[in-house]
This record gives sequence, C-alpha cells and structure tokens, in this order.
Amino acid sequence: MSMALPPVIETRGLVKRYGDQIAVAGVDLVVGPAEIFGLVGPNGAGKTTMMKVLATLLAPTAGEARVCGISVMEDPIEVRRRIGYMPDFYGVYDDLRVWEYLDFFARCYGVSAERRAGMIGELLEIVGLADKRGAYVESLSRGMRQRLCLAHSLVHDPALLILDEPASGLDPRARVEMREILRELRGMGKTILVSSHILPELAEMCTSVGIIDRGQLLRAGSIRDIEVSLRAGAVLQVDLLGDETTIAGAETWLSNAPHVGDVLHGDVAAGLATRLEIPFDGDANDQAELLRSLIAAGYRVTGFHQATSDLEEIFLKVTGQDEEEGAA
Amino acid sequence: MTAAARPMASPRRSAAREFGSAVRTIMVKELRGRFRGRRAFVVLTIYLGLLALLAYGTYVLIAPTARQASQFGGAPNASASIGIGIFTVLSFFQLLLVSFIAPAFTTGAISLEREKQTLDLLISTPLRPGAIVVGKLLAALAYIGLMILAAIPISAIVFMYGGATVDDLIRQQVVLLVTALGLGAIGLFFSALIKRTQAATVLTYCAVLVLTIGTVLIWIFFSILAQRDAVGVTRRAPEQILWVNPALAMIDVVAGTEAGNVGGLNGLLGQITGADITNAGGGVTCNGNVCFQTDDKGNVIGPGSALPGAAVDLSSRPVGGVVVACPPDMPPNQCAANGGQPIAAVAQPQSAVGHFWPRYSISLAAIAVLATLFSMRLVVPAGMRFVFRRPRRQTAPPPAPGSVAKEPPASPAAPDVPADIATAEDST
Repeated sequence: MSMALPPVIETRGLVKRYGDQIAVAGVDLVVGPAEIFGLVGPNGAGKTTMMKVLATLLAPTAGEARVCGISVMEDPIEVRRRIGYMPDFYGVYDDLRVWEYLDFFARCYGVSAERRAGMIGELLEIVGLADKRGAYVESLSRGMRQRLCLAHSLVHDPALLILDEPASGLDPRARVEMREILRELRGMGKTILVSSHILPELAEMCTSVGIIDRGQLLRAGSIRDIEVSLRAGAVLQVDLLGDETTIAGAETWLSNAPHVGDVLHGDVAAGLATRLEIPFDGDANDQAELLRSLIAAGYRVTGFHQATSDLEEIFLKVTGQDEEEGAA
Repeated sequence: MTAAARPMASPRRSAAREFGSAVRTIMVKELRGRFRGRRAFVVLTIYLGLLALLAYGTYVLIAPTARQASQFGGAPNASASIGIGIFTVLSFFQLLLVSFIAPAFTTGAISLEREKQTLDLLISTPLRPGAIVVGKLLAALAYIGLMILAAIPISAIVFMYGGATVDDLIRQQVVLLVTALGLGAIGLFFSALIKRTQAATVLTYCAVLVLTIGTVLIWIFFSILAQRDAVGVTRRAPEQILWVNPALAMIDVVAGTEAGNVGGLNGLLGQITGADITNAGGGVTCNGNVCFQTDDKGNVIGPGSALPGAAVDLSSRPVGGVVVACPPDMPPNQCAANGGQPIAAVAQPQSAVGHFWPRYSISLAAIAVLATLFSMRLVVPAGMRFVFRRPRRQTAPPPAPGSVAKEPPASPAAPDVPADIATAEDST
C-alpha cells in the first residue's frame, strides 16, 4: 500500500447556488494531511456553505468535493466517519450531562462501549472540561460549550476536523484556550479546516489560509506567502520622539529615502511619540537599511514596524482588490 | 484503500444490527432527557390518579341505578353493568388522553432540533436518517406505552364486576397503543416537514381532529348524498372513511361488552355497517346473494313461507342479498336454487361488532409506516435525498467513474493551490 494518500480535502469547481444567489462559485481547494487550513472571508463569503458541503449537509450544485478521496455525494456516510464537524451556530441538548452528551455522539459514530468509557475522559481532559463531567450541559458557559462541541467532533477520532468559527463569541481568554486546544490537536496529526472572519486569529495557528469572498477563493497558501505577495503595498509605522519641527524634518527626510512614497501624515499619538505612516515598497533588507539610516540621521525612534503585518489589512486589501477587478 | 479494510462478513445482517444500535442510541438519549428529573414520574402519577378517580366516580354514579334496574329485571345483572360502565368510561378517557399526549411528544421531535440548532450535529453523524426518525418515534412511544400499560390495573378493576372480559381489555389496549403509534407518527411527520414546532403542533392537532371529527362529518355528508340517489343496494356511505376514526374503533371495542350484543352502541355500529343488530337473534341467512329470513336457530322461515308478492317488511330489516319470493308450497332451499322472483335487494349483512377495531388498527399502523417513511426523507439534507438508498458496494474510492461529468470551469489542471496567486505588482 505504498499508494500516495489522497489529499484530505479536495474540491474541484465546487459551486453551490441558493436559487439565484451563488454562495460558492467554483472553488478549487486542496488541503493535505496534518495541515491547519484557515478559511477567511467576510460574512456571507461562502465559508459556511463550503464547510457544510464538506460535512455532507448540503449537496453541491456542481463540481466535486472529496474528503480523504471519498466523494461527499457518492458516499456521505463514509465521509461522515472521517470528519468531525462543528457548525458556527449550534445548540446542545441541555437535558443531558456532559459525559452523556459525549457518550451519545460516540454511540452515534458507533464507538464501542469499551472505548467510549476511556475516551470520554481523555477528550474532556483535552478540552479542559474534566471537572465538568457530571454537570448538565445547560450549566456550561459559552466557552465551555464551545469546547464541549469541539470534543463532540473528536469522539470518533476523525482524520479531518471542520470547525466553523470556533472562536466566535468567545472572550479573549476562551479564545486563547481554544487556540491552544487546536494546536494540541494539530500535534496529534489531525487535519483541521477552520474558518473565521478575523484573519489574525487564524494566522497564529494555521499552516495555511485561504481568503474567500463572494464564493471565490482569492488567495490560498501560507500566511507568509500571502504577506509577501502583498508586501508592495506595505505601510511602515514609524514612531518618533521630538517637537513639531523635528517631526516635520523627519517627514522630509523620510520622503527622500529610497522605497518610500509620500508620507501619510500621522496624527496618531503613540504614547509620547508621534506616529508617521509611510508607504514602503522595499523588502526586509531595505527596511532594515531605512531604520539604520534613520537612527544614524539622529532621529529618536521608539517604534518601527510594518502595518501590513496586521492581517486585517491584507484581508481588506485582497477582498477590496477583487472588488476593483470585478468593477473593471 | 483505507475504507476497504472494514469487515464485510454479511452485509445485510450487519446493516440490520447497525440500524438497531443506531435506533437504540437515539432512544437512550431521548429517554435520558425525558426521564430526567421528576417531570415524567409526576405526569404518570397524575395520569393514573385521574383514571382511578374517574373509575371511582363512574362507580358511584352507576351503582345505584344499576342495582335498581337489575332489581326490576331490566338489566341482566347489576355487577356487569357497573363493570361495563367503568370499562366504557376508562376506555374513552384513555383514548382522549392518548390522542392528546401522543402527538405532543413527537411534534417537537425534529423541529425542536432544528430550532435549537442541534439537528446539523446529529445529521452529520453516520446515523441513518431512518434510525434517527424511528428512534425518536419509539422513544416517544415508549413513554406513552408506559402510561397505557401502567393503566391496565385500573382498567382491570372491571374484572371484579364482570361485564368486560380479558379479550375486551386486550382489544382496548391494542386500540390505545395503535392510536399512540399512528398519532405519534403523524406528529413526527409534521415535525420533520415544518420548520417551527408551533406550526407543526397546530397542524398535527388539525390532523387529529380530521381523523376523529372530520371523518365523521365526511361520512355523514356522504350518507346524505348516498341516500338521495339511493337505488337498491347503495344506501350507505363508504364506511372505509371511518376506518381511521379512533373514537369509532373504541366504540367498537366497548360495544363488544354489551350483553347479547344489544345496546345503543351496537345499534350505532349497525347503522354504519348496515348490519341490523335488532335482528341479531333471528335474522337472515344468505346463500350466495339469495337471503332468507330465519329464526334464532337459523331455520329458514321466510320469505318462502310468505305468499308470493306479499309485502316483506324490509324497512326494519336492511339486511343483505336479495330477498326472493317463492310459492308457498316450494321448500325454501329449492326456491333458492330455482331462483324465485326477487322482490327486494338490500345490503350484505355484516356483524357490526368487532368490525371496526381491527380495520382501524391496520389503517393506523399503515399511516404510521407511511408517516415515518416520509419523515425519513425529510430529515435528509436537501439534494442528498436519494444518496442514502444507493447500495455501497465499492467502499474503496476510485476516481469518479464519469458520474461527475462537469469539469471545473477554471484551472482544470491545477488541483493544487490556485495558480493565480496575485503577484505583488498587481496591487499598486
């Protein structure tokens, strides 16, 4: 059996229409084993629809979707055995206890009784709910429910996890916890497809991301690749100490520096310093060189960083760019 | 090739076992929720308390009249009338409660899962839709069945008085259980069909009303029509409409207790089916379509014994077949063979008692099966309805065997990350 394993997720020309509306417009996506793939896009971009198609809850209008090489249309039951799905909105059976809830889903997946007993404890350990074993699901906080739902999607040890906005509605602490759990799961060799409309949230844990808007996959690849591909539009943020004349001088100095466009005047106060934002189209070496000469010129720099490392901006840029292209 | 390693010993049996365990899974979960806390037990206790109270109340009401009646030789025996009275009241009261409770347990079965957004989680498991639906129905029926069976001891009080036999009680139980099954399945169907539980509940109770009252109204309407253009045989509306009527089935069961098949309920049933109960003692014997009046021992007494052309009083005897007139000296059997002169045609006689409840049971069971099948179809995600029936022979995933004819319109040769990752120059 030295056959190459099929990719965990493979879609080809995936299309899903709801009446006149097109939710997914021909997406080709490949996600390999043990990847954490983040789907990012604004609300209504088609993330949830794609995930539902992969979770065999929606039939695609056209195209093909395969999980572990199995078509979601030809053998949905076999696909379901290989995925754990966590929808963006879901309820819990609040008249059950935590362990009963997991036990129920384990039975649904045909997990044998001997394995169920030990596994429920392990799963609760992973998601940090071990002390809530006998509590009613009803009594759990939102973050805990989220983690319980994550645990439910793991009862049958699936190859692929499909998590639709797992961090939405969580407070920062719960968010961090969720991220830690996903990291742990990646360590266990699971492939994870996770969606969010907040790119930075994904960037910290994903091996690669796909940016999706209006049903189209605009970019896909590692965050680094995407960032690099967009570096040209980067904006540098330079925080300087000094009075108005110093700042004005720095502005002139910077506009004359290589790779720098017109200084966007920064009225942004960054502590005691004044922040200047400058468009910059050089690479990392050029950046370092700019900083070196800026300091050599005698300016007191308290901060120097690239604004586009803010992934939100990449995101806006990519989706915005698409809009312009669409208009043209 | 990962999937091919699963044991495939005897697919049919293992599929059945899988289905059974899936149904059990759903039932366990549903019943865990249902019997959580005190609610289920309190409801059961109240139900049984009400029944007991009602049985006692009936006794208090009936006993004096029954004793009096038997003293003057009217009713056969006081004890039996008390028993029959209690049996009647309990049967109808239980029927009423079951008709209300059974749908209530199922109208939320699917729609509540939709409303609470738990359905997607459930459907994305490998559970077959059939197992989900059947499990839900059985879980609801398990509780109603418990209520019905738990009330047997109360109904069994009638055995102290007589009047109703064990057979009567068994019939009563069959009708109650089958009512729970049928109405429960109807509730389940509407629950699967309609997104909101409220609407599903309203529609379910509408359906229950149609079964109980609507069928009677339709039948009456038909019988008025039928009488208007009545010629000979067809004097009645199609009674099949009433086969789904729970009340009539219970009337049938209760009528079975009436001593000597004489009583108001028998008369009612007789009118519906066309059997003339007042003639039950004597009546009519038919040979093919030719009928003769008989005495209570089955001896043919007429109309052969009547003069030809003599008026045979049919108005009080709407019995079956063709009544013939024979010469007075001809023996009735010969008369039948020779074919006398038909003087009237009337409907086929049937025994009215025991007519409805078996038909009702079968009809409601059929309704339950249909409703469950439709519910299954409705639970499956739209567009994937037919996928689940396809036999899975090849579990190994071969490249799509031409079933997907549509090629992706864009970048057919690039299954990997789309090749159109924009370069940096595009953005400026």
